[in-house]
Amino acid sequence: MGKLLELLLRNGGFVTFLVVEVICFAMMVNFNTRQGEIWANTTGIFGGRALEKRQMASDYFNLYERADSLAHLVDSLQLRLSNARQVQVPIRDTFFLVSYDSLSRTDSILRKTVRPQFQSVTAKVIKNSVSGANNWLIINRGSSDGVKTDMAVLSPVGIVGIVRHVSPHFSLVMSVLHQQAKISAALPQQKNAFGSLTWDGGDPTVMTLRYIPQHFVVKENEPVVTSGYSLMFPAGHPVGKVYGSPKTDAENPYFLEIKVKLHQDMTTVRDVSVVQNLFKAETDSLQLKIKANEQ
Amino acid sequence: MNSSSITPHVLRFIGLVAVQSLLLNQMTGSIGAYFNVLLYPLFILFLPLQMAAPYLILLGFAVGVAVDAFVPSWGIHAGAGTFSAFARGLALMPFAPKGGFSTKDSIFAPATMGWQTFLQGTALFMAMHLLWYFSFSYFSHLFALEIVKKTAAAWGLTMIFVALYVAMFNPKK
Repeated sequence: MGKLLELLLRNGGFVTFLVVEVICFAMMVNFNTRQGEIWANTTGIFGGRALEKRQMASDYFNLYERADSLAHLVDSLQLRLSNARQVQVPIRDTFFLVSYDSLSRTDSILRKTVRPQFQSVTAKVIKNSVSGANNWLIINRGSSDGVKTDMAVLSPVGIVGIVRHVSPHFSLVMSVLHQQAKISAALPQQKNAFGSLTWDGGDPTVMTLRYIPQHFVVKENEPVVTSGYSLMFPAGHPVGKVYGSPKTDAENPYFLEIKVKLHQDMTTVRDVSVVQNLFKAETDSLQLKIKANEQ
Repeated sequence: MNSSSITPHVLRFIGLVAVQSLLLNQMTGSIGAYFNVLLYPLFILFLPLQMAAPYLILLGFAVGVAVDAFVPSWGIHAGAGTFSAFARGLALMPFAPKGGFSTKDSIFAPATMGWQTFLQGTALFMAMHLLWYFSFSYFSHLFALEIVKKTAAAWGLTMIFVALYVAMFNPKK
């Protein structure tokens, strides 16, 4: 003990330097956006491979649960695929219900009128956090798998987040449990009235839906789905259900403040789909024109 | 250290943080990104040469945090200040008289060391501080060339301001 104390006193400058520099480093990556993003990206790249190896070992012992989860994912995708094959298209001023298989790419005369809007790639969550005010995930798919920033990340039962940074083999996903995450969500039983879904911190299973006008009579347990207006998330994907009785939004009394219990438990999310809106660049360029006109 | 010997350091802390935050940082914003003058490390340089390293490092951190609070750039100036305080002994070692600094040489200043030795020691000290500061500021090896260019530009400008400061105030303790 005496020798340890002597060592500390003799090297006091170096120990103090190390401790204070670590404090400075923590301040820098937590309170400066640029340094924080670079740090998150760097740890994502270097830590990703190690985490994936550890995850592989862990997965071996959870094969039963994983098989069950994958079966659920397949069911969900099959249902969505069969829905996608039934597309309404306008032909000669009249709407017809036609059957079209977007995967087979048959040379049909209708091919030009049917445009699949979304495509997806499956991925596995290899790092997750839910305890902070701003939470992130890392998935084992990156730019070499076609993942780009601003793609939506979904699970079979709910929403997970938005891709923010991409390396060749991994991606950093801003969780829905992040205070900057805003997702357009709708109430299908209220004529698809839509609002903005955010997380106010605290309970990781509950988010808040705002900007639903007061004249809608929203009941507990009503389903909440994605509206599709964010252009990242496909419309109609399940999000959760209304939790408790809606109340008046204290900041904006013309609207309701609705608590939403998420279907996807963010503490156990594992298998996800990264969804790309094939027309996002086109719609983004139109939105830029709106901004240009307003200036 | 009695109260009369602390007073010049307290005044230097307040004065240099104020000049850095309210004048020099604003000049960077209005003149251009390559106009960087960091004068607050002089507070660390002029701390007593015999001061124990842990206190020196904590004071380096304190002056950096004070500048960070105005920018705000939490941790960047603080990290650079901490590093400079730690590395001050290393930077000034080549310029120490034979047998090391004596207790009568209370601070590293022209009044005690002569102008030539002071400017040489300060040049090395400032180069180390600026290189650490811009490395933290850019925080990526992808900007290595930019870091070197900005360090070189800031070093030249800072040394001019250091000479002006010392000519005006001629610190002795």
